[in-house]
Amino acid sequence: MKFNDAIVGAIFIVIAGLMIQQSFSFPGFPGQDYGPNLFPRIIAGGIILCSVLLILRGLRTRAATGQAWLAFDDWTRVPRHLISFFLIIGAMLAYILISDTLGFIITAFVLQLGLFLWFSVRPVTAVVVAVVSTLVVQYFFASLLRVPLPRGLLDSIL
Amino acid sequence: MDAVISAFGLVFEPQVLGVILASAVFGMFVGAIPGLTATMATALLVPITFFMSPVAALGAIVTATAMAIFAGDIPGAMLRMPGTPASAAYADESYQMTRKGQLDLCMGVNLVFSVAGGLFGVVFLIAFAPMLAEVAINFSSFEYFWLACLGLTCAIFIGTGDSLKGLLSLFIGLAIATVGIDPAAGQPRFTFGNVDLLSGIDFIPAMIGMFAVSELLRGAVSMDKAGEVVKQAVGNMFTGLSAVWKKYWKNFFRGSAVGTTIGILPGAGADIAAWVSYAVSKKLSKEPEKFGTGHVEGIVDSTSANNSALGGAWIPALVFGIPGDSITAIVIGVLYMKGMNPGPTVFQQSPELIYAVFIIFILANLIMLPLGWAAIKSAKQILRVPKNILTPIIVIFCLVGAFAMTNSAYGIVLMLTMGVFGWWLEEHDIPVAPLILGLVLGQMLEQNFMSSMIKANGALMGFFERPLAGTIGVLTLLLWGMMIWRGLTAKKPVEAAAA
Repeated sequence: MKFNDAIVGAIFIVIAGLMIQQSFSFPGFPGQDYGPNLFPRIIAGGIILCSVLLILRGLRTRAATGQAWLAFDDWTRVPRHLISFFLIIGAMLAYILISDTLGFIITAFVLQLGLFLWFSVRPVTAVVVAVVSTLVVQYFFASLLRVPLPRGLLDSIL
Repeated sequence: MDAVISAFGLVFEPQVLGVILASAVFGMFVGAIPGLTATMATALLVPITFFMSPVAALGAIVTATAMAIFAGDIPGAMLRMPGTPASAAYADESYQMTRKGQLDLCMGVNLVFSVAGGLFGVVFLIAFAPMLAEVAINFSSFEYFWLACLGLTCAIFIGTGDSLKGLLSLFIGLAIATVGIDPAAGQPRFTFGNVDLLSGIDFIPAMIGMFAVSELLRGAVSMDKAGEVVKQAVGNMFTGLSAVWKKYWKNFFRGSAVGTTIGILPGAGADIAAWVSYAVSKKLSKEPEKFGTGHVEGIVDSTSANNSALGGAWIPALVFGIPGDSITAIVIGVLYMKGMNPGPTVFQQSPELIYAVFIIFILANLIMLPLGWAAIKSAKQILRVPKNILTPIIVIFCLVGAFAMTNSAYGIVLMLTMGVFGWWLEEHDIPVAPLILGLVLGQMLEQNFMSSMIKANGALMGFFERPLAGTIGVLTLLLWGMMIWRGLTAKKPVEAAAA
């Protein structure tokens, strides 16, 4: 998914505009001309300047080569790749949503197993690697480094 | 001298040595797998280093990156795919050597000259960092403000092909750095009432997202593009090296010098060092026509250069707290986390830490020889580890690493957001390295500006009143002027493409 530079520029101009608008709510620094709103405004100004140049460039490229506003890479036309892409994001989202309830061990195992199988790892290998890597990470982070990984369902056992 | 002795004491502790060895193996592995980069190795290591002593943490990062930069050469010669971007400049040349049946020589040259180049960079670091620190100790907030500006400018000036997009990326990074409580007045900015955002955008999860998650997303859609490992067995890789040395020792020194210099410049790291020194080598060679056909000359230059760049990059990082490349940007983030503000005062207050870094650097380059040998010998097994098994494991690593930084889901949300954003930026050829630099330096820039303003009672001329500040300031302004001039007079990309 690739936007023409002009669209990228337009997106950032909107963001920078919001930044400046927000900066009006920052109170000034007593006895100083420069307050907490100075840097955000300078930076937003910089973003706008770059974006304007980017828009000009995007429009010029489009006029010269007929580049589309939005072009899709080859892989986006292959459903399998598209699913792979969203599975990685989905797995991380799923972890955020369910790891507290299910606990790290179950969540990590299920997510890895799912990803392995999708990426066509042989089922036996997939199960073994998922179990081993989950336990290694659990041991390393939770036991050695004392990171409070969520225990979830296994709370009573761990 | 006491500091040197206590530095040895700090490094030669079983735990620290164990960490160094483990990170070395980890770095070799990550570097040797195409698609996993040295920066990614660092990004995945950092959550773990968070729990270590400062010396062990620095040891882990120094060693892992040094190994990864060398190990990137291995798949270049065997698969025609660079293991890290730093080896991309001569991956083709290496592969051509392999096809000519010179795999042994190619690997030997890569290993020995990587070690030697790395040591060259370290010698430079040891010689110049303390000297510069003595100058830097006189710096006030005025000088630091200009220095940060200069560092950021260099980052886009040399770091990227497209300076406009580099500049945009830098501003985005600075913008992200303003989220949270502002450093001068304590005013919350862009937090939208969210408690987590008050502490700002946590640097480590953001970086794991930008460097690891975005890499995973790119890798996931090209899963089946695996290379064919060459059948040639590796024999004795050290024969013929003395002949190469006798013929090309000048190339070694030239490559290392170029590499170290580029390493010192903020924003440019090992990958650019390799490209530049390869080009220099070809330009100055007596037999430029042989380049690209499996000729060892350019490899000597560039394999020395990318390893020497590592040492160079640490000079501005240690002395000024301004990162020389994206890896040292991460290091500076780690140092801040450990409560150590990188800068010249560290040289005075805890010189043993600086010496410890030097010792670790030397150590890392020395163990590269046996470990690198072992990695080359077992390369076929390493390169056979399939990406479809590695990707899900790295996903879990990223999740746990980001979680460990905040002990809440906030770290993961941040990582995922920055990961997708970083992927999107790179899809549009907007480099993420300037963004990370902006994120790291943003607070420092603003803090130094604000405290300078308070000192000078709001007079902007205060930035030019001290002789040192004035000099760096004028230099920075000149550089900006030059950039604008270049931007205005440069051939427009469209016209260049059409011509």
